[in-house]
Amino acid sequence: MLALVPAAASAGALAPASPASPAADDERAAYVVVVVIAVLLAIGLIAGLIAATRGSGDDEPERRTRGTSGVQARVGAGLGVLAVAIFVFGVIVTESAREVEPTGADGLQTVQRDLSLPADAEPLEIEVSGQQWLWRYQYPDGTFSYYEMVVPVDTAVVLKLDSTDVLHSWWIPALGGQAAVAPGSDNQTWFKATETGEFEGSSTEFSGPGYATMRARVRVVEPAEYQAWLTQQAEDIKEAQEAVAERVLAEDTPDEQLEEDAE
Amino acid sequence: MTPPIYTGAARPEVVVEDLGDERAGWVRTATSADHKAVGRMFIATALTFGAAALTLLVMMRIQLIVPDATIIRPEIFDRLLSAYGITGLLFFAIPLFMGLITYVVPLQIGARGPALPRLGSLSYWLYLMGAIFVYASFMYSPSEAGTIAVTPLSEVSSPSHGVDAWAVGVGLMCLSLIVFAVNTLTTIRLGRAPGMVWRRVPLFSFASTVISWLLLVIGPVMLAAVSMLLIDRNFDGIFYDSGEGGAPMLYQHLAWIFFTGAYLTVLLAAFGVISEIFSTFSRQPQFAQRATAGSMVAFAVLGLLAWMQNMYSEPIPIGFLYFAMLMAVAMVVPAGLIFFNWIGTLRGGSVQSKPPMRFALGAAVLIAIGLAGEWAGSVVPVGWQIGQTGVAWGDTHFALIGGGVLGGFAALYYWFPKITGRYMGTTLAGASFWATTLGAVVMIVPVQLAGLEGMPVDVYKFFGDTGMSAYNLIASLGAILFAIGVILTLVNAAASYNGGSEAGHDPWGGSTLEWFALSPPPPHNFDLVPDVRSNEAYRDIREAVVARATELELPPASTAGPEPEPAAVAAEPAAAQAEQGAEDGSSEDDADEGEAGDGPVA
Repeated sequence: MLALVPAAASAGALAPASPASPAADDERAAYVVVVVIAVLLAIGLIAGLIAATRGSGDDEPERRTRGTSGVQARVGAGLGVLAVAIFVFGVIVTESAREVEPTGADGLQTVQRDLSLPADAEPLEIEVSGQQWLWRYQYPDGTFSYYEMVVPVDTAVVLKLDSTDVLHSWWIPALGGQAAVAPGSDNQTWFKATETGEFEGSSTEFSGPGYATMRARVRVVEPAEYQAWLTQQAEDIKEAQEAVAERVLAEDTPDEQLEEDAE
Repeated sequence: MTPPIYTGAARPEVVVEDLGDERAGWVRTATSADHKAVGRMFIATALTFGAAALTLLVMMRIQLIVPDATIIRPEIFDRLLSAYGITGLLFFAIPLFMGLITYVVPLQIGARGPALPRLGSLSYWLYLMGAIFVYASFMYSPSEAGTIAVTPLSEVSSPSHGVDAWAVGVGLMCLSLIVFAVNTLTTIRLGRAPGMVWRRVPLFSFASTVISWLLLVIGPVMLAAVSMLLIDRNFDGIFYDSGEGGAPMLYQHLAWIFFTGAYLTVLLAAFGVISEIFSTFSRQPQFAQRATAGSMVAFAVLGLLAWMQNMYSEPIPIGFLYFAMLMAVAMVVPAGLIFFNWIGTLRGGSVQSKPPMRFALGAAVLIAIGLAGEWAGSVVPVGWQIGQTGVAWGDTHFALIGGGVLGGFAALYYWFPKITGRYMGTTLAGASFWATTLGAVVMIVPVQLAGLEGMPVDVYKFFGDTGMSAYNLIASLGAILFAIGVILTLVNAAASYNGGSEAGHDPWGGSTLEWFALSPPPPHNFDLVPDVRSNEAYRDIREAVVARATELELPPASTAGPEPEPAAVAAEPAAAQAEQGAEDGSSEDDADEGEAGDGPVA
């Protein structure tokens, strides 16, 4: 069993999920750079400590002179330069990850109302609503789905997040970092899936007894398939709503009939 | 008590007979305002709650031992989770250091007692009341609102008073922290021995000062946060209710300010302890006392200002996140300098592998790993991916287990002979050290690997299809090993309290003033308060004693070279106090008292 750890590690598990979106790409790059530096720092400090404990072994060794302030200043300045460099690097990567990339040539070509952005920057806007313990997605045409979001590939997707009850956090590691929402504090994030496939994630904000089951999936498909899915989904919803309405309107539906339908 | 009226000849023994029955030892300890009694109660209570936190941790890890487990119901798991965070941090790690500070700092600065002894006592009882409040709620319905009880969940969950008990318990603990900080600050500012200017204050006492200022800042913040939570929950308040115009993010900000400060408190206390131990056990002076002290201040200030580092995924304007990131990445300067100075202190020294030294070294290693991880996670895009996941959980646990458990145990092993006059067992200490350290690593690293694959924190189960089964199994086994390690030290402390081998007043050859007092110290700590002429006050005294003994040509046992033999060490406080007391001619009594002490057991 223990052999699984190095095996998994060598398989690239020592960094977040392999990215399928520019933002996740930036985040993974930042992760690799910063973690390598942090690991080197930690190893240096630990090795220094361990090496320093290999003392002379005398009962009463010669007492060292104390460190001069010059040494302190040089070490401090070195670390300060490192901190500033990491900060600048962090800001650059953050800005890059925040910037919505325009939809690619293979993406869904769509013009959205009320936006004066150039046509090639048009993002697909999806409203994402968190509730205990399920995500709801509302697409631009009013169609909606739960748990699984379907999006076209190579298309900039902007997610408008809100929550109906408590704090939740949207997170699909392969598509980008976390975005938390609570009632009254909406959030937004974006991604542009570079490949088709299914990407899983889970909420990272504790939200009550069902928290562990608050997962989400994004299914990335070709634009044509996305359009077909939207049509199908709209039809299904309409059908289901009609069925419900029919049953509700039929006031004298016997209870047995309802139970039978439910089965 | 009215003095007895006595008209006959002077017979003091009659007065003694007239006194009431002597109360039982534990009653005297519990009602005493003596800082040593309060400190002992703090330490004992903190270790008890350490066992409680450990139980909660192991129960949660057992639930997570296999995927889709149903051993513990989700609601029950959430109750364990909600108690675990504050038990480990607020009822174990911080009070353990509060107890050590209460006990050691007055001795270390050469004071006869704290400035405000009754406040010390009050802070202990507030702490105990707070902890009891939280645990009493287990009898009906404890909080299910998570580690820091974030709103709005804490306002809508637990319709019974579980969250209220949690909030009251945390609020009482905040009061305790404030009262403790006032007492400690006053003691250190007013009680230092003559000559102990700030640059000569030992690093543990200096860390206590920094901690106290930190607690004065964060205590009222959390007190306000839980008060508003209680008003919202019980009296129709709208502080956090966004639907009514309240501020939805306010509680998170306040709570994170507090918990960031609490985290820093544990680390700073551990920094102080490790600095003392490294200096003592390498027989070297602090490589750079002032730089280390300054770094502690900078570490506290920067760390506290970086509280939003925990909130990167929240909808906060990006400028604020950059500010938090700048503060957090800048922490590498003070943290790096502290480690650099530890290395400088150890280098060229004669390192003795005694239990406190081992634990201190282990603490430094785990803290280095934890801080490096936190530092990496404080870069915004990295935090977006690993915040609130197993990775962040692991970094925090590395730092807090390193600081609170290993650092706290290092301090316990170090000062136990001062507190009880006895050593803690070495064999159990060795086993405990390896089980604790390896257990922590084996528990934390797999959780971090699972976190990289998308495992969030605080979940009551994980799914079999996510490829995290092996990680969680290993982590749970590591948790059990870790628990065994902690229990071994608790058993060791309990068994050694009356059964350890006797240690004498200065078992480690320390250079700070607490080793000048007897073990355990008398109620007034010192017969004579010494003059302090450097940051190694007791070392100066020891050297002066040797010099004086050589001068007087005492028998060879007391004059063996620059480092005195055990017999000479044993006689030191007496001789030293005799030397200092020679001026007022009160040397005789002191000498008698000193001879009662024993030298270190070979």
